[in-house]
Amino acid sequence: MLQGWGIWALGGVQRIGRAHIFLAHVLLGLPGLLLRLRLLVREMYVVGVLSMLLIAISGLFVGMVLALQGHNVLSEFDAEQSLGVLVAASLVRELGPVVTALLFSGRAGSALTAEIGLMKATEQLSGMEMMAVDPIKRVVAPRFFAGLLSMPLLAALFSMVGVLGGYFVGVGLLGVDEGAFWAQMQAKIDFEEDIINGIIKSLVFGLIVTWIAVFEGYDAVPTAEGVSRATTRSVVYSAFAVLGSDFVLTALMLRGE
Amino acid sequence: MRADPFSEVDANRLSQSKYSVFRSVESLASMTIADRSGDGNLVSIRDLVFSRDERKIFDGIDLDIRRGKVTAIMGPSGTGKTTLLKLIGGQLRPDRGTVVFDGKVVHEQGLRDLYALRRKMGMLFQTGALLTDIDVFENVAFPLREHTRLPESMIRTLVLMKLQAVGLRGARHLMPAQLSGGMARRVALARAIALDPMMIMYDEPFTGQDPISLGVLVKLIRDLNHSLGLTSVLVSHDVHETLSIADYIYMISEGKIVGQGTPEELDRSASQFVAQFVHGLADGPVPFHYPSDADYAGDLMGPVKRRPGARH
Repeated sequence: MLQGWGIWALGGVQRIGRAHIFLAHVLLGLPGLLLRLRLLVREMYVVGVLSMLLIAISGLFVGMVLALQGHNVLSEFDAEQSLGVLVAASLVRELGPVVTALLFSGRAGSALTAEIGLMKATEQLSGMEMMAVDPIKRVVAPRFFAGLLSMPLLAALFSMVGVLGGYFVGVGLLGVDEGAFWAQMQAKIDFEEDIINGIIKSLVFGLIVTWIAVFEGYDAVPTAEGVSRATTRSVVYSAFAVLGSDFVLTALMLRGE
Repeated sequence: MRADPFSEVDANRLSQSKYSVFRSVESLASMTIADRSGDGNLVSIRDLVFSRDERKIFDGIDLDIRRGKVTAIMGPSGTGKTTLLKLIGGQLRPDRGTVVFDGKVVHEQGLRDLYALRRKMGMLFQTGALLTDIDVFENVAFPLREHTRLPESMIRTLVLMKLQAVGLRGARHLMPAQLSGGMARRVALARAIALDPMMIMYDEPFTGQDPISLGVLVKLIRDLNHSLGLTSVLVSHDVHETLSIADYIYMISEGKIVGQGTPEELDRSASQFVAQFVHGLADGPVPFHYPSDADYAGDLMGPVKRRPGARH
């Protein structure tokens, strides 16, 4: 049994090593990609634009629920006027980046893994190699950078729509004063501490989710079962990695305050 | 050596030219360009050893592929024929021995040089390996767009010429999912010749084809080899079709070359394996029965063991 654990651990370490070499190879594809921005724009459409509806609707509901729950607690302390701050801070600091990353991994990450895995299974990647075209630079790099750039934008959309959802519920339904809702938000939400930190988080999550997604696809066993397992792994590992790194990032950011 | 009207530089320049229009006209001459350039072997494999998961796939094989000829690699399924193509293309590294393509040891090249070498080879995968998100025209244009900066009008001309050569100019707007297996392979062939390679490797091109598609593919492989001055490597276990177009054949079994020669020589071969393979005999050096630890009677009367995963 001990031997089994050893083999498992060594396999894991090897895979992590492969993932890092793979990431370095992908990053080397950036200069070539800058010369062919059309590839990047196309992938940003697939990865980012097509995820917008899901992110916007989710953000709306999360903002509405936050307003309901927040109002419930704040009203006990007669602090309903601070609802705007509560909703905005929760969204910008935490829920925006985290929930967007989880949704993004389910919507775009799984699709990336399945697409690249299937391209491998149907020898399309091998075919490119034989045409002297590097599949990591031609197929993986545009998808990776598209994911990396889309995540902060999607997280911003999530937070923005979430704030609007909170406004509709808080001001529209629960009768919180409109002026206080916006004014307190404006006064208390700090650009550096809240917004910049949120953007940093969403960039890190974008890197993690997209990296895991493209690596799992590229490293998939080229069979139907292999691709299906890779897709599942992509979503599960992304969720763990996002939530784990969120804790670390939050701890670092709070320490800096 | 034959008097050479072309210098090697000229021949190389022509063979790598993006302007295949002129290449095709040139190749109408009785002697192919490939014939004119230096060494007679485009690929030389020496003492090749390659293992996968502790199973030896090649155990010290020597093999030459002559320029301008159709060379077939035959053998039963699972003998590593496709692996051999991947070793020639540098997608796999041998454990021992060398694979030399056009004077260069393939697995000793850096990535950049290896890619430069691969531009001289085309490969036709068994599935076609077409990019599924773009149409037929764009698939054939893909290597041209990746490797050249030709104007769109020239790309269009070249793509239509290549598609015309495989008889699918009219199918240029179709998506790969709309193509039959035979059509997909023809499109893949048009794509493989897009950059005018020196050599094309065909991986099981005849598998699963109806008689008409089979005839078309046989004709295309032979005709393209002649008209474009190509060297062709054909991996197949379809005896009849392969013998009809190959100039030279290697037979591989259990990691070794068990027979080689022209189709006529193989037909007359005294080797039991070659006879079994060429005539499709059920039993012979390749046994009908997969080896078993116990004899049949002992196995039938033996104790019943619970098998993991079996339903009871």
